[in-house]
Amino acid sequence: MGQDNFMTQKRNLSLPTTAAAGNGRAFVGGGRGALRGKHVQKTFNNIKITILCGFVTILVLRGTIGIGSLGSSDALNQNLIEETNRILAEIRSDSDPIDPNDPPEPDVNPNTTYSLGPKILNWDSDRRNWLEGNPEFPSYVNGKPKVLLLTGSPPNPCDNPMGDHYLLKAVKNKIDYCRIHGIEIVYNMAHLDKELAGYWAKLPMIRRLMLSHPEVEWIWWMDSDALFTDMVFQVPLSKYSKHNLVIHGYPDLLFDQKSWIALNTGSFLFRNCQWSLDLLDAWAPMGPKGPIRDEAGKILTANLKGRPAFEADDQSALIYLLISRQDKWMDKVYVENSYYLHGFWAGLVDRYEEMIDKYHPGLGDERWPFVTHFVGCKPCGSYGDYPVERCLRSMERAFNFADNQVLKLYGFGHRGLLSPKIKRVRNETATPLEYVDKFNIRRASHSL
Amino acid sequence: MLIERCIGAYRLRRIQRALRHGKVTVICLILTVVVLRGTIGAGKFGTPEQDFLNIRDHLVRKTAEHRRVLEEIQPQQQQQAKTISDSAQSSGSSSTSNANSYIEFDINTILKDEGPEEKPDPSKPYSLGTKISDWDEQRSLWLKSNPQFPNFIGPEKPRVLLVTGSSPKPCENPVGDHYLLKSIKNKIDYCRLHGVEMFYNMALLDAEMAGFWAKLPLIRKLLLSHPEVEFLWWMDSDALFTDMAFEVPWERYKDSNFVMHGWNEMVYDEKNWIGLNTGSFLLRNCQWSLDILDAWAPMGPKGKIREEAGKILTRELKGRPVFEADDQSAMVYLLATQKDLWGSKVYLENAYYLHGYWGILVDRYEEMIENYHPGLGDHRWPLVTHFVGCKPCGKFGDYPVERCLKQMDRAFNFGDNQILQMYGFTHKSLASRRVKRVRNETSNPLQVKDELGLLHPAFKAVKLSS
Repeated sequence: MGQDNFMTQKRNLSLPTTAAAGNGRAFVGGGRGALRGKHVQKTFNNIKITILCGFVTILVLRGTIGIGSLGSSDALNQNLIEETNRILAEIRSDSDPIDPNDPPEPDVNPNTTYSLGPKILNWDSDRRNWLEGNPEFPSYVNGKPKVLLLTGSPPNPCDNPMGDHYLLKAVKNKIDYCRIHGIEIVYNMAHLDKELAGYWAKLPMIRRLMLSHPEVEWIWWMDSDALFTDMVFQVPLSKYSKHNLVIHGYPDLLFDQKSWIALNTGSFLFRNCQWSLDLLDAWAPMGPKGPIRDEAGKILTANLKGRPAFEADDQSALIYLLISRQDKWMDKVYVENSYYLHGFWAGLVDRYEEMIDKYHPGLGDERWPFVTHFVGCKPCGSYGDYPVERCLRSMERAFNFADNQVLKLYGFGHRGLLSPKIKRVRNETATPLEYVDKFNIRRASHSL
Repeated sequence: MLIERCIGAYRLRRIQRALRHGKVTVICLILTVVVLRGTIGAGKFGTPEQDFLNIRDHLVRKTAEHRRVLEEIQPQQQQQAKTISDSAQSSGSSSTSNANSYIEFDINTILKDEGPEEKPDPSKPYSLGTKISDWDEQRSLWLKSNPQFPNFIGPEKPRVLLVTGSSPKPCENPVGDHYLLKSIKNKIDYCRLHGVEMFYNMALLDAEMAGFWAKLPLIRKLLLSHPEVEFLWWMDSDALFTDMAFEVPWERYKDSNFVMHGWNEMVYDEKNWIGLNTGSFLLRNCQWSLDILDAWAPMGPKGKIREEAGKILTRELKGRPVFEADDQSAMVYLLATQKDLWGSKVYLENAYYLHGYWGILVDRYEEMIENYHPGLGDHRWPLVTHFVGCKPCGKFGDYPVERCLKQMDRAFNFGDNQILQMYGFTHKSLASRRVKRVRNETSNPLQVKDELGLLHPAFKAVKLSS
């Protein structure tokens, strides 16, 4: 019954015309007092329903749009993303917080010849004396000379995230090789000399390391885009007992054709001696950036075959130096091409499957290259000289090709040369040491 | 009226009443559904909020703008890249120049897994590998027959292998790989100074033990493959060395097999989930270690086991939030419940920061430089600053991005200064990437000694045969 009344009232609301008529008909006998009471009740009910509807509307709206700052975690997310973007942009820029106490940088005097440091005259005897006085830091350990591998990259993030990822993989690759062969690594991320920035930055660093570490016999510079692909091969240092610089190249390209790619300065070894310091001093003058480097670039383009026009680079400068002062330097330089101390990637990376089929690690030459060097790919910049897909695909393959040789000791291998995942290639056993004896590269190389 | 005559007035009114009831019920039902959708959502159909945003985005097209800096799209290049990908084989100079661009290249287009996926056998309980019971004997036999690979490279100095690692795929965060690179450089520097060997892992050995548990199968594999290693030092990729001169006191641990940073009371009495830290620890290469790895692993396998284990750990350990089982909590639980089995060979070190929580250290670097010097390793000059929770490789961490990345730069420079001072340089400030000279070049470089004596430190000296 009560419900009936309510429904009647609802009908009153939704159908005012008929309700009014109906009301009139229904209440005509009730009298004015009863009529007023009914009116009040009606109004009251209307208000109740209005409030109820209003409440429901607010709830629904809150569910859809939210109430400004009280609502939406999504707005929070947007703020987070914007902040992250700002921070990333700041990190990637090369700007420095400026210190007002810093003295202004002195201007370079173009008339004075650039020098790597004060001239050192008796390095060989100084070094020998030091070694005699410090027998706990010998330069030969177990008959093998002490080698220091130097590599590096710029201190700021690459222009794109792929670049940093491949720098990381390249470092891992070098760590693996150096652990197996007992070589120390120095990873340089500082520009020691503002003037010698870019590819010239290696010169001051090499000099600095030679002078600070007299116990190091050989300093091996390797570019950050060069990967070891033969984990077993060792540089035959005894072959170079009469030489001070070992560099990959071709003598005919160097002396006959004077080609600008006759040698490659992406991977070379310098003995720690006076001769090397002198060569570095003779090499450096074309390096200082600005008008000196530009002018030097023009000279190099004019004198070397095939060189495009750009500022002086260390490789062309070294070639020019060795050609023009052949008599002074060449007798101590070993131009090596019997193995790939530097191996240009384009001719090698597609043949890895063939190599795995036919050959084995330890050869170091075109059958199983020692080093695969990704010249021109420039993954750290925005643009390379080759298509990105080809470069990255090849770098991934080279990395996995080398990593398989490291993982073999542990019984694993990559699931394909393009796969970051690994699979078991040898079952677990309760006597792992028999496999260690068989597969440990370091152990094999020590017994040679 | 017509209907009234067919059915009858009474029945008509009853039908009308029923219809009215029905109307109200339907209105209420609709309202309920709408409200619930607004609050909880309807799964993939989304919430009204999402609808609203979709419509707004459609009209305003704002999303492209927000992502611009994060992914470094230059508008024209992106347009061109799109047209290139559309016209598949078009040759010409414009296409080659954009095929050479590294911006916006998706690495997943070239990665390819060959061969079948290894599926674990669900009927067998998880095991790290074939059970070995005589590792000590096997190892000492091997060491005897291989004297050229001693496990001690100095009178008190064991052969140590520092192990760290990261994912083989690029980080989700565009600068994550850069920070991993700086972190590995930092470790290379410390290890070169202290004669420690390094292993950088980029392979997931066991898919079941993914995430923070991935270190367990790796550690076991390395212990068994390198019998010449006496101590394995695991270090997280987000931990940086900040004291280059501090040498770990190896003699202190001659009777221990497992060294972690932590406090005995917090682990054994309080069962606090952060009573110890498994981000940086030392593990001896012996049978005991293989056994504790086997005891540690069962909570690891991902899926139901890890979830259930997580619940147990949250219940049993103090202060632990609710999430799946992690290796650190599992170790606290293991030690607290089986103290008699393992406790005697576990050393919880807190005299120096084998692991140093970054939050309380990074703001004090300038104060440390003023008042102290490297070589202390403790709160005055921490050995390790560990950026727990920062997750630089992921998209979002537990802390504000700016604080994390800026502080990681500072910690890196703080450590790097100690390396650069060997060569006469230092960073211009703890926030700067640039370096400045602090010692002039000289024509007698061998007379000059670096302040900290790190060029030829005692802990690197080769054992002299008498």
